[in-house]
Amino acid sequence: MVMRNRAAWLPWALPAIVLVMVFFVAPFLLNVRFAFSSWTSFRAEITWNGLENFSTLIDQDLLANAVTVTVVYAILCMAIQNTVSLSLALALQRTSRINTIFRSAFFLPTLISPLAAGYIWRGLLAPDGAVNSFLGLEWAWLGEPATALVVVAFIDAWKWSGLITLVYIAGLNSIPKSLLESATVDGAGPWTRFRRVVFPMLAPALTFNVAVTLVGALSAYDVIAATTGGGPGDHTRALNVVMRQQWGQGFFGSASALGFTVTLLVIATAVPLVWWLRRREVTG
Amino acid sequence: MRAPSRLLGAALGAVLALSLSGCGSSAPEGTGQVKLTLWHNSADPAPLLEMYKKFEKQSGHKIELVSIPSDGFEDTTQTKWATGERPDILEYHATVSGLLALNPAQNLRDLTGESYIARSGDLYQAAGSVNGKVYAAITGFPQVFGLYYNKKVFTKAGLTPPANFTELAAACPKLKAAGVTPVFESGGSIWPVQILPILYLAGANQSNAYGKAIAGHSSTLADAGSPFVSGLTAYAKLKSDGCFNKDIVTAKFEDSMKALVTGEAAMVAQHSDMLPALLAAAGGDQKTVDESVGFVGLSSDKPLVTYAPGPIGTFYLPKTGDAAREKASLDFVRFMTGPAYAEYITASKTFPVFKDVPDPQGVSSVLQDVKKAYDTGAVIAFNSDIPGMGGLAQLMSELIAGQKDPQKAATQLQGQVEQAAKAAGLPGW
Repeated sequence: MVMRNRAAWLPWALPAIVLVMVFFVAPFLLNVRFAFSSWTSFRAEITWNGLENFSTLIDQDLLANAVTVTVVYAILCMAIQNTVSLSLALALQRTSRINTIFRSAFFLPTLISPLAAGYIWRGLLAPDGAVNSFLGLEWAWLGEPATALVVVAFIDAWKWSGLITLVYIAGLNSIPKSLLESATVDGAGPWTRFRRVVFPMLAPALTFNVAVTLVGALSAYDVIAATTGGGPGDHTRALNVVMRQQWGQGFFGSASALGFTVTLLVIATAVPLVWWLRRREVTG
Repeated sequence: MRAPSRLLGAALGAVLALSLSGCGSSAPEGTGQVKLTLWHNSADPAPLLEMYKKFEKQSGHKIELVSIPSDGFEDTTQTKWATGERPDILEYHATVSGLLALNPAQNLRDLTGESYIARSGDLYQAAGSVNGKVYAAITGFPQVFGLYYNKKVFTKAGLTPPANFTELAAACPKLKAAGVTPVFESGGSIWPVQILPILYLAGANQSNAYGKAIAGHSSTLADAGSPFVSGLTAYAKLKSDGCFNKDIVTAKFEDSMKALVTGEAAMVAQHSDMLPALLAAAGGDQKTVDESVGFVGLSSDKPLVTYAPGPIGTFYLPKTGDAAREKASLDFVRFMTGPAYAEYITASKTFPVFKDVPDPQGVSSVLQDVKKAYDTGAVIAFNSDIPGMGGLAQLMSELIAGQKDPQKAATQLQGQVEQAAKAAGLPGW
């Protein structure tokens, strides 16, 4: 019975499988060898050099810092976006004219190019920019090691929270009203209703949003490039930023090794995370 | 239902065929005229852009300009280059280190026999050539690196512009006391912060001695007490003494030009191709620039300028395999270096690289300062012939952030040089 059901679903899954194979698996398999090659702009020959690219990146103090920055940045983005978006979704859940206006307003940044968003915020957050003028401060938000990474994560959250909010709103609206009414009749207050009914019922939306925000932030480049360029020092130098720098210097093998590291990081993070969240949907 | 499907299929096929036919870059058949792709620096000045148009008019060929932003110019060009994409004409750095990264023997056409080379003096001894083969057509006067200074600020403070790093350090507290930022640095644009250390090294690099020693592996950047470590140490000292602007990490180079013109800052280390940006910062008013800004050489111990053949007006011809386009692109080089060049020099008010072309009239006083400093004492940038120096600017960011000390930064950069030199197969590595 199970086998027959799976066979019935195959035609529906096929387009997605083909797309993933053509645009992800095949390019990945075709290109992974470059991470272990001597490919540079300086000569035409490309030879196998084992783990030399990785050892070079470690020797030059580039790899460990980039992995740390990337992971911390991804966790920050995921936490900020999901907290902000869930709060917004709860506030804007009911469909009314005013809520529709607010939903549109919060969704607008999603439509802006990430580079443009980065440049706008770079201007706003400059030491002599609008934010400091408003707050009466002289703080270099993007130039101080203490705040740069967190601020860039907030900019990323500003950019994408509208989209994540819509997914949560859809999740909230799919919760049967009868459940909430029953909980109310049983004496549950707003907080108890949220904790015992709403949040558990939001599990599929939470799975999607956590996975998307985390994986998206692990591949971060554009917002960082437009705001800090990886600075101050190497405090926001995520893996893809270092990859671009290595590429720009003609060290294509090392750049490919960094790309491979991003892929490994995404797989190592996303697969267990989605598996755990899906299990939670069933058991929780 | 089937007929509309067939119609749709035919329509899609026609659209696809039309799109594919549009992908080629050859122009109308039988005319001998072609479309040439030119990757150029977005900072190309108006007279140079005008020359491209004049070539189109004279030859009948079309030039499709692909603008590469001057911020991150090297990275972006390398990234496009690495994809295997090739323009018909490439505007890029003439330094040997820049040239090596293009793998010239494999990818570029040899221009050794062209007549402009003999008219250029010994320019191609230090630039645009590798292993005795000339690949570049250099039409722009070298980028001259030195210290722009605000004349009014110095006069008001009763100071003369510094001639070496000791004088620069001594001027800092006096300028600060006068309420101006002594030196404006633009870490937000990343690349400008490597200029001061490169200026420092001019003293040790006369006749390119230091650059050759590093490229030939007889010295390393990280040798104890090396000129490079000393240069970084002098820079770190200037920073700890408060000589730089507070927003050094975020400021862009446009900010530095504005600060210099307005007198908010006393000095900016930059190169001569930034004059249009300086003019823009003064609202296009040349008189303001001439009245307020001067230019001097600076090194560890002498008033030397550092020069490097720049990307503006330096052209390469990548191998494309298309005979008609290759012929047309060679015509372009001959046009740019031919009789029209004198018009370009007159229009651009820059100095010529060809001996038979006279200096222009009515050159701005800042550019006259640049030429005077260049004629007094000019040393090629020590990193011109060393591959793998592209990481210097990033390391300077870490030095400024206090994450690396000069010795550690030098050791890391030496690792990158080694990586590139071995890849390039340089002798001695």
